[in-house]
Amino acid sequence: MTELRRSPIDDRHRALGATMTGFAGWDMPLDYGSVVAEHRAVRGSCGVFDLSHLGTLRVTGAGAARAVQRAFTNDVSALPVGRAHYTLCLDADGGIVDDLLVYHLPWGYFVVPNAANAAAVAQALGSCAADAGDCEVDDVKADLACIAVQGAQAADVVTQSGVDVSSMRYLDCLALPLGEPTGSASGGAADGVPPDVGVLARSGYTGEHGYELFAPAELAPSLWDRVVEGGATPAGLGARDTLRLEMGYPLHGSDISPSTSPVEARLRWAVKPGTGFVGEQAYVAAAQVGPRRRLWGLRATGRGIPRAHCTVTRDGRALGETTSGTFSPTLRIGIAMAYLDAAVDEGAEVAVDVRGRALPATVVRPPFVDSDPRR
Amino acid sequence: MNPDDLRYTEEHEWTRADGGRITVGITQYAQDALGDVVYVDLPATGTRVERGQPFGEVESTKSVSDLYAPLTGTIVERNGALESQPELVNSDPYGQGWMVVIEVDEPDAVEQLLTAGDYDKITESA
Repeated sequence: MTELRRSPIDDRHRALGATMTGFAGWDMPLDYGSVVAEHRAVRGSCGVFDLSHLGTLRVTGAGAARAVQRAFTNDVSALPVGRAHYTLCLDADGGIVDDLLVYHLPWGYFVVPNAANAAAVAQALGSCAADAGDCEVDDVKADLACIAVQGAQAADVVTQSGVDVSSMRYLDCLALPLGEPTGSASGGAADGVPPDVGVLARSGYTGEHGYELFAPAELAPSLWDRVVEGGATPAGLGARDTLRLEMGYPLHGSDISPSTSPVEARLRWAVKPGTGFVGEQAYVAAAQVGPRRRLWGLRATGRGIPRAHCTVTRDGRALGETTSGTFSPTLRIGIAMAYLDAAVDEGAEVAVDVRGRALPATVVRPPFVDSDPRR
Repeated sequence: MNPDDLRYTEEHEWTRADGGRITVGITQYAQDALGDVVYVDLPATGTRVERGQPFGEVESTKSVSDLYAPLTGTIVERNGALESQPELVNSDPYGQGWMVVIEVDEPDAVEQLLTAGDYDKITESA
């Protein structure tokens, strides 16, 4: 066993009495006492997460756009400086290697894969960069922490902590104006050398209005302190999971994986054929055939909580299996994501086998809750 | 830390004896280890339960745990409030968070359960 990596903010979590958990090689906070209370703080006012385990790659040079266009499925030529988009990294067979956000900054592209897939994405991107030419991919994980401030009060909390975000729209991004003026917020860096500052974006994985601050590691603890003093409730990975599931956001490794395609996972909106991405041929072929199964939401209508890998049936016939499931703190019922036979449609009444007990549920189209990060 | 007038099991249940009946719940230690309790599955009244065997489930945001019968007998009451307010198990484990009442076959068997002092030792060493 290799030693788990620790976040630059690790001592704050321990001081708060967090339950720590090993996650993708990192020792991260699972909760600070109550997943439900942390979840409700994010939905009701504001929470703060340490996401320093997320991968962070910088792509720079004249060939950066070509490399990113080839590596990922969304159309990066349509992404202006100062904007971010959701995209996928596919393998040659069209399976999902990772889902991620790409941020377009003045100095190039900032790529944030899931922690568990950071190495695979770096490798895929590195190979595309070599083909594109005149392009550098740098892993800046050692330099950057990530603090996510999420919830209706997030704009006020972040602005009070010294970073004015009042004019940012959903998926806007810019160089993080923090600390000593080592680089201007508007960037420049025409020579392709990234300024020595982080990234600020209005993005998140909770469904709430929120911000992600990729801050230099040495500045992260004081930034965390200011955000907490400003009223944000520290929230762990447990609440992050219940929040994302209430929105129906897929989790790579659970709901999507190399053995699932964007067609069955309903992620076609993030795939732009004709842009020359790796896996395009396989994707187009799969899209033409159509999915054999589709990813749906399940809303329990009886008491009980579905978890991952429960069989879903209708009239005794197996329709598929759940990939994620939890108790929804907002709705106070069980919710799940499941791949179901393509013949199943919205509103179908099904049964989820929860440890031998049949839990009735309705097939729904997520989100399960009325939240929208664009608000 | 655990009330002196109750008896305990190594599975972290408490019992309060009243004649031939025992009220059963889970301990402060157990609710803290589970985290937010979000679902409690209890048997219907009239169900026979056997000492040391599972009779229900308590589920938190983190995990699912079986509930074990402290003694053999018949369920005569169940705490219906836990269906809509499972969080009572966290907020008041020895009071409103009670789970079932069992009419025990051998009332004297209560004396075989752990005292508060015995149980404190188990949780202190855990």
